Amino acid sequence: MFKSQEMEINMGPQHPSTHGVLRLKLRLDGETVKYCYPVIGYLHRGIEKICENKAFFQGQVWTDRLDYCSAISNNLGWAEAVEKLFGITVPRRAQYLRTMLNELNRLNSHLVWLATHAMDIGALTVFLYCFRDREKILDIFEAFCGSRLTTTAMRIGGLLEDVPEGFDKMVKDALHAVRTGLVEYETLLSENRIWLKRTVGVAKLNADDCMAYGITGPMLRAAGIAYDIRKAHPYAAYGEMQFDVPTRPEADTYARYLVRLEEMRQSVRIIEQCLEGLPEGPVMAKIPKVLKSEVGEVYHPTEAPKGEIGFYLVSEKGGANPYRFHVRAPGFFNAQAIPLMVQDSLVADVIATIGTLDIVLGEIDR
Amino acid sequence: MSHVHDPKAAPNRKINLPKTAPVPSPGAHAADVKATQAAEEAKWQKTLADYEIARANAISEGKEPPKPPVRHAVKADAHDMRWPVPVEAQDPDLHRLRELLGGAVEECFEQAGELVCQVKKEAILDALTICNQDVALRYEMLADMTATHYPGGWGFNFSIVYHLTCIRRRKRLRLRILILEGFEPESATQVYPGANWLEREIYDMLGVRFANHPDMTRILCSEEWEGHPLRKDYPAVGLGQRDIDCREDRSGVLTRKTMEAAGHLGINLKPLKAE
Repeated sequence: MFKSQEMEINMGPQHPSTHGVLRLKLRLDGETVKYCYPVIGYLHRGIEKICENKAFFQGQVWTDRLDYCSAISNNLGWAEAVEKLFGITVPRRAQYLRTMLNELNRLNSHLVWLATHAMDIGALTVFLYCFRDREKILDIFEAFCGSRLTTTAMRIGGLLEDVPEGFDKMVKDALHAVRTGLVEYETLLSENRIWLKRTVGVAKLNADDCMAYGITGPMLRAAGIAYDIRKAHPYAAYGEMQFDVPTRPEADTYARYLVRLEEMRQSVRIIEQCLEGLPEGPVMAKIPKVLKSEVGEVYHPTEAPKGEIGFYLVSEKGGANPYRFHVRAPGFFNAQAIPLMVQDSLVADVIATIGTLDIVLGEIDR
Repeated sequence: MSHVHDPKAAPNRKINLPKTAPVPSPGAHAADVKATQAAEEAKWQKTLADYEIARANAISEGKEPPKPPVRHAVKADAHDMRWPVPVEAQDPDLHRLRELLGGAVEECFEQAGELVCQVKKEAILDALTICNQDVALRYEMLADMTATHYPGGWGFNFSIVYHLTCIRRRKRLRLRILILEGFEPESATQVYPGANWLEREIYDMLGVRFANHPDMTRILCSEEWEGHPLRKDYPAVGLGQRDIDCREDRSGVLTRKTMEAAGHLGINLKPLKAE
């Protein structure tokens, strides 16, 4: 006679579809997940402690290493948090360029997400298409700040220097590539029967649970709530931009796929507006060489590709570095909801769940 | 394995504990401004007195008297920088909170467009419940929660902040409590389930435990980790757990090499006791 019993297995930390070093303790009944316990911290580098011992100017380099697929969003969040703390006004041209870079970065991050998510599920072609288009965006970053991944693109008070010659053309080429690329991805996936079977109704998380667990970004919008920090608390030049906040009511993996693709279209729209209305002027505010703080406390939320990234800073009188620095990483909250999403689902759907969360362990473990 | 931290043996692990406790509030800011003005005034008076002495000396020696000093006005517009000053609470949400919580509210103010409400540490669960449930408030989401260590604080050692978000009205609020070492605040998981990992992180990083938390274990560091890294009395280079090879020989005694390495790093490894 065969014996039936529940089995406990470890998924990760060295599993390619966990996108890093996430470990899930799973208890399985056959193929069904009965219990899931995420274990994180394998990539903990103590970035908060390091930044508390570095000057305000130096901290930004470490924010690149949080979510390494969207370094510019982190740079922007950090720079704006320090600017809010010190009450620095940034010139308008710098605001526009920041907005443009941030949206290019959103395209980059979403392309990486789509590529890896589709690859996890088994559609390898999409991976190659996405990385082909992402290359053009990375070239723009390289032309602007010299590096492709860890950009350190912003400075406190603006930008280090203006855009290089031929920047407009590069951006327009990249936008054209993304625009045509989006049609190709949709042709490959949107009505693909395997893709539909693997994503529709998988990893559902309704709006109430999203709010209870602090889940933001495309995850929340795919649950039917049109909340976008770019609209709710406008920062940089988002107040002057025209764009829509896409939502879907289904709250499953397929809905998140549609929301993210639509977000990419809106990003293209925003970048075009930035290029058109780019004002002239300086790109750096007049600020002292060394920032000496007063007693203050600030929390600045911005909309990263994965959700709300918030920087919390506490400063002391006459301090050159933050007294306390904390990152509210969107991935940390998303990872916390994995047990809810995979309960009573199949093991193969756990892979789809991790993919749809768009997980990057660099920001979860910090 | 346990060790005792000895900063004398390893100067790079020396800690300079901060003496101030920077908790912003309108009162503290006003006192600060007053102190700065008093210091400036005292400096000016000293300049005047010095001038008088110099002048008297010059006259007595028959020389030309020095020019009188000029008091420069403070240059305000040298930079695009204006430090945000905490102001008294204006927002209806803060008034509503004061109304509902009554004496439990210690302080309400706004700074840089952010609403801050400091409540008594015993009343934090009530405050969170009201923020979540009250019809006029309805802060649905706990956006962030963290703590700060103040070894030099007077009457408190930690501040814990809760950042709440109201999605419908697009508002944000910061609740703050100040606690002493050893006090266990009520866990927010009963109101906001998402606080689970955040509280575990605070415990892991700062050593503040929460009462009635379902799973009060470390989250980022391993269970055997000693100390809480984000406390101010924890050296930035670490206590050295990773620097030394802690292999034991067959009898369970740490090797001589390990002990030497530990000595260089200022860590006194206690010899293991035979059981």
